[in-house]
Amino acid sequence: MSRQPMRRTIRGGRPYFFDDPAIDKVLNMVVVLASEVWTLRERLMAMEAIQVTRGGLKAGEIDRFEFKPEDEANLSAQRKEYIDSLFRVLAEQVDEARRSKPAPSAAPAKAQRSKALKSKANKATARKKK
Amino acid sequence: MLELKHDLRLAKTRDEKARMNFVSGLRAHVLNDLASGMRSVYDAKVEPQFRREQKRVPKDGPEVHKAIKGNDYFKFYSTLRVTAQDMVWQSVIPPLERNRPELKQKAAKLAGKSKARGTLRLQPNFEVPRYVSAIDVHLMAGNYDGEYEKDDLAAGSLYDNGLAVFSFGLMGQNLDDIGQSIAGFIRLKYPNLQPKKILDLGCTIGHNTGSWKDHFPEAEVHGIDVAAPCLRYAHARAEAQDRTVHFHQMNAEKLDFPDASFDVVFSSMFLHEVPKKSIAKIMNEAYRVLKPGGLMLHMELPPNSQLSAYDAFYLDWDSAYNNEPFYKPFRDLRPEDLCQKAGFDPKKYVQFVIPSVGWYGEKVWREAATRPPEVDSDKTGRLTDGILWYCFGAWK
Repeated sequence: MSRQPMRRTIRGGRPYFFDDPAIDKVLNMVVVLASEVWTLRERLMAMEAIQVTRGGLKAGEIDRFEFKPEDEANLSAQRKEYIDSLFRVLAEQVDEARRSKPAPSAAPAKAQRSKALKSKANKATARKKK
Repeated sequence: MLELKHDLRLAKTRDEKARMNFVSGLRAHVLNDLASGMRSVYDAKVEPQFRREQKRVPKDGPEVHKAIKGNDYFKFYSTLRVTAQDMVWQSVIPPLERNRPELKQKAAKLAGKSKARGTLRLQPNFEVPRYVSAIDVHLMAGNYDGEYEKDDLAAGSLYDNGLAVFSFGLMGQNLDDIGQSIAGFIRLKYPNLQPKKILDLGCTIGHNTGSWKDHFPEAEVHGIDVAAPCLRYAHARAEAQDRTVHFHQMNAEKLDFPDASFDVVFSSMFLHEVPKKSIAKIMNEAYRVLKPGGLMLHMELPPNSQLSAYDAFYLDWDSAYNNEPFYKPFRDLRPEDLCQKAGFDPKKYVQFVIPSVGWYGEKVWREAATRPPEVDSDKTGRLTDGILWYCFGAWK
């Protein structure tokens, strides 16, 4: 037998607990992301410790460090870009709304949406009745 | 994260170690903090509501499960526990995948070393029972027996390294706290028991088998399992630790050992992994291969009959959500009945609750040999701070 990569998916799938399994899935992604954030922190801490050992940094120097005004401005612009990109998916919706005109062509789409909303509302009442 | 001490440990990058640290921390949080939070939510909200509606308290684990299932806290606890369980294996696979060729070389070197004292006997064309070959227990992809190349031992390494992340220190520095706590306890409690031959059933990577050799150095120690990749790994692992253990690929339902050939027949966390029909056969075989005067001892999760409704529900969680289909059915059985049906004298039934030697330290653990704690505790068999190991068995 030649070497095969190890299997990573679980036979029989995984259990879900929320009414909509999407919630479990999103939570899983959040935790994996949290793990990567932690991983970065450990790496940064390692880098800092190495620098301190080598004399490139003094202990606590980063905590006392202040950016120069031009660096601060640069960072601030980058932070805005970062936050914008984080919520890009919501912006898309807004862009689309602003692009669409209340012309006759929009009418069927609107009708469809209100129909979808109605059926959603019906489902919600049905659930409540249960 | 616990770093394995033996030569088969995987080389990991800084980031891989950090991911493992995170998962261990997450597991400790879920199993200590969230678990105790869930108990408080149950006591304050779920149980009172049940009492208002039913005019009584929940009578068993399934009733508690039904009552708590719709609660948001239960859902978060559960989905986070599944996530953490999955991340245990996902944190090991990348470094393992990279290290596979080297791992195989190391293992071959250890197994072939001149001072190798233990042995490995695999069976060509061995039939792995379906309750192992058809499922991924503990959500571990590939299970114990999955093989990805010739003479593969990746599954053994996945389990060893995964267990190190999974146990967040509660299974000892060498993942042998169960073996050390129990083998040592038996030695203290029964100084006249001087076993010549000891058998460990369903030993996987032999992490608890070696403890018997440590506490009974004069004895010949054997471990059996159905999964070849775990046994290959177990053999190399035992050699790396200079422990003389003999591993065999064998099904515990049909042992290839003569009658009355062992003084101690042991297993740990094994019976709950097999269906009821097989458990009966395994108990019969244990009786058969045991010498008169010998001791059968199974370390297990405590039976539902000896737990409160809530604690039963808490342990049953694994059966419903951690790919452990035989776990609750096993825990619904009465261990004393199992022993009796296999031929053991009911008067010779024994059971113990043994404090983890790693967690409590030697003093408390030694005292327990004279006065073991009660079964009914939320620490018995539960991976949490202050864990107590449960075991039962009988003298032949």
